[in-house]
Amino acid sequence: MRALLHALAVLLLLAVAILPAAAGAAPSRVPKNVLVFGTNTADIVSLDPAQAFEFTGVWVNYHTYDTLVDYSRDFSRVVPRLASSWTASPDLRTYTFTLRPATFHSGAPVNAQAVVFSVQRVFALKMAPSFLVTDFIKAPTDVVAVSPTQLRVTFSQPMPEMLMAAVFGNPVTGVVDPALVRRNATPDDPQANKWLTANEAGSGPYILMNWTRNFKIEMRGFDNYWKGRPSMGRIFIQDMPEAATQLLALQQGDIDVAMGLLPGQFRQIAGTAGFQVKQTPTFTIRYLTMNVGFQPFSRPQVRNAVKYALDYEAYKRLYEETIDPGQTIVPAGMFAHLKDRPYTRNLDRARALMREGGYEQGFKAELMVPIDPTLPSVAAKMKEDLAQIRIDVEVKVLRNADILGVYRAQRHQMAIQRWGADYPDPANLATAFADFDSRVLAWRNQWDHAVKAKVKQAAAERDPAKRAALYAEIQKTVLDEGPYAIFAYPLRLNAMRTNVKGVDPSPLYETYDLSNATKE
Amino acid sequence: MLASIAIFGVLVIVFVLSHVIPGDPVVAILGGQAREDVIEAVRRRWGLDRPLYEQFFRFVVRLARGDLGMSLATNRPVAMDLRAFFPATIELATAAIVIGAGAGLAVGIVSAVAHGKWVDHVVRFLSLIGLSMPVFWLGLVLLLLLYARLGWLPGPGQLDIFVSRPPGVTGLLTVDALLARDFAAFRNAFSHLILPAVVLGSHALVGIARITRASMLEVLGQDYVKVARAKGLAERTVILRHALKNALLPIITVIGIYYGGLLEGAVLTETVFAWPGLGRYATSAMLSQDFAGIMGVTLLIALVFSFANLIVDLAYGFLNPKIRYE
Repeated sequence: MRALLHALAVLLLLAVAILPAAAGAAPSRVPKNVLVFGTNTADIVSLDPAQAFEFTGVWVNYHTYDTLVDYSRDFSRVVPRLASSWTASPDLRTYTFTLRPATFHSGAPVNAQAVVFSVQRVFALKMAPSFLVTDFIKAPTDVVAVSPTQLRVTFSQPMPEMLMAAVFGNPVTGVVDPALVRRNATPDDPQANKWLTANEAGSGPYILMNWTRNFKIEMRGFDNYWKGRPSMGRIFIQDMPEAATQLLALQQGDIDVAMGLLPGQFRQIAGTAGFQVKQTPTFTIRYLTMNVGFQPFSRPQVRNAVKYALDYEAYKRLYEETIDPGQTIVPAGMFAHLKDRPYTRNLDRARALMREGGYEQGFKAELMVPIDPTLPSVAAKMKEDLAQIRIDVEVKVLRNADILGVYRAQRHQMAIQRWGADYPDPANLATAFADFDSRVLAWRNQWDHAVKAKVKQAAAERDPAKRAALYAEIQKTVLDEGPYAIFAYPLRLNAMRTNVKGVDPSPLYETYDLSNATKE
Repeated sequence: MLASIAIFGVLVIVFVLSHVIPGDPVVAILGGQAREDVIEAVRRRWGLDRPLYEQFFRFVVRLARGDLGMSLATNRPVAMDLRAFFPATIELATAAIVIGAGAGLAVGIVSAVAHGKWVDHVVRFLSLIGLSMPVFWLGLVLLLLLYARLGWLPGPGQLDIFVSRPPGVTGLLTVDALLARDFAAFRNAFSHLILPAVVLGSHALVGIARITRASMLEVLGQDYVKVARAKGLAERTVILRHALKNALLPIITVIGIYYGGLLEGAVLTETVFAWPGLGRYATSAMLSQDFAGIMGVTLLIALVFSFANLIVDLAYGFLNPKIRYE
């Protein structure tokens, strides 16, 4: 019996040993004019541009719908898209757009009335991303078709060009085909929201051919796109929720790009012939937040003690180097980013600040952390770090939805959270992190600081140099006094085969542009 | 009647539990960056600002009309979601139970017949390993071996992405492909089914093998089996016709329970194999507190279990003529 088991074990070992190694790149099974992504698509609620607010959905809409304008790839300026040109009034409140000749996928022409219709839908539906429009345009009547090719928009505040693009460069204002929408409207659903959830009515470079939930999204290049047919004939986004499965599919040549690998897997594949890993900083911030309504954190010295007690380098190691250790609220790569990183681990300084703040003997605090592959380890390290200054942290790992409920109700003590820029302008970050009145992060943390006046002033400032100076000032104030210990700007990594060209992840997820993708 | 009361009871309990646990479904769906006014508007639109009893009353009234409500997470009727995801689970669960029951019966019988011999020891040892092996891990190892290294079976998904889905008649891909006489799609769908079905069926296999072995051992010691052998009947006839038939009752019960469990959806297997089934839908509904989705899945699972129990009960009557239902 024993001899038999031994023989079986040896045979199994031999069988595994003689199998070909799996690490290398198997020949691709994807044709050259097709690009296949593997990622988790379960986040999509709807593909209606007036509703989509999740990563994958907005990314798809960026390709199936046209917006009036877009950002240059380095986010330094606004570039034309459906609008071939535009002019702004001296007070930057009124913009007049001229549309280029373009057609919807249905064959109908795109005109200014369609843009008005699309903006009106956003107001009518009032879905999650609607604030991107309603924060800057008071009423649907402020968007007017002057002629079939001309559109006038009156904003509720002065809009520097980059801020204007926050509205008209975002897929939420993707132009829908009014005739197609009306045809699919019902008395219960006059905006055809249900129909547009799984169908599209756009004029973008790609046509949505098929979306089977939790299976695949298929897009085909639009022959009559105003810019010409995109180089890649078809794009598939295959649903693959599991990172290890994505890795195997990439190695086997069933997908061209894996978007959701774990940090260690990215490192593994980066060193393998036939594969490349492309990365970009993102306009996203990971931060530890401290509720000023919780007595100890009402003292700025205590908040800063926490910032000095954290071991930022250790968190980077825990993230396996897939984060940039920025500390200001405007992430790297965005206009007016301040490079300051004053906080490094300095326990003497931290203890002195605790003493100054009146908490030399420390206190107990609860730290909520979302379920995530890495964050619980980061929280455990933070607990260890803060114990050095006598803050006794109780870590609670929860669903992010549960944390958000507490966070929004201002009932937290400490939490690890993230903020992704809704649009690539410091106004978005400054409003969220520093403007108490906007009822976003400063409000949730009960941090009502005079800097909020600067936020409003900066958003309306027309001179870029003055704007940059104002945002630098805001960042400095939040850095020195704010209730946030920013510890990471996460990087976005995509692993792909080396024959894939022109596919470069974008700092802003939805503008991950595939229109120049090719394969050798 | 009893089943209806049980199902209603399950619905009430799940409704109350899913509403009293902490968390806000609207916040879960809209995320951390949605504005307060939008959250309030969505809450009103979905009736989530109403008292709990009123929400339940509305749910029951809708249910009586056959309307399961709209899913917050998919923005479409829950009935449509269930129609989309449940067939994939039925297909996978059925293939898994066929593998699990077929192999489990065979292994259990062999083990019982060879009781105390080395074959029995090997089977028991492998059963122990099989029970202890996490499905998630087994799935990844088999993918690595049979998909990535040997290339014998296709990778994740229900179908290659370049293969068009056959027209949906039953929702079961293999059946629909056959109905459409699309044999290429059938081959593709069938080959995609093998690996997840083996993984999912492995636990059922072990459980069924163990109960088969135990039940057969009990029956093989009975006097009538000794008489059958003394009569000079072939060993195969003794085991399959006389012993197995009498050992089947507990085995059928276990198979029914396993099948019912498999039909609930298997979130880990579905995640590893990117299988668009009910397990992932149910998990995502639970994580986002999508009440309508949770209630729809609960109702479906309660119905499935009631149906599986009914089939098992009917099978008892067929296998043992002494059991009669009035």
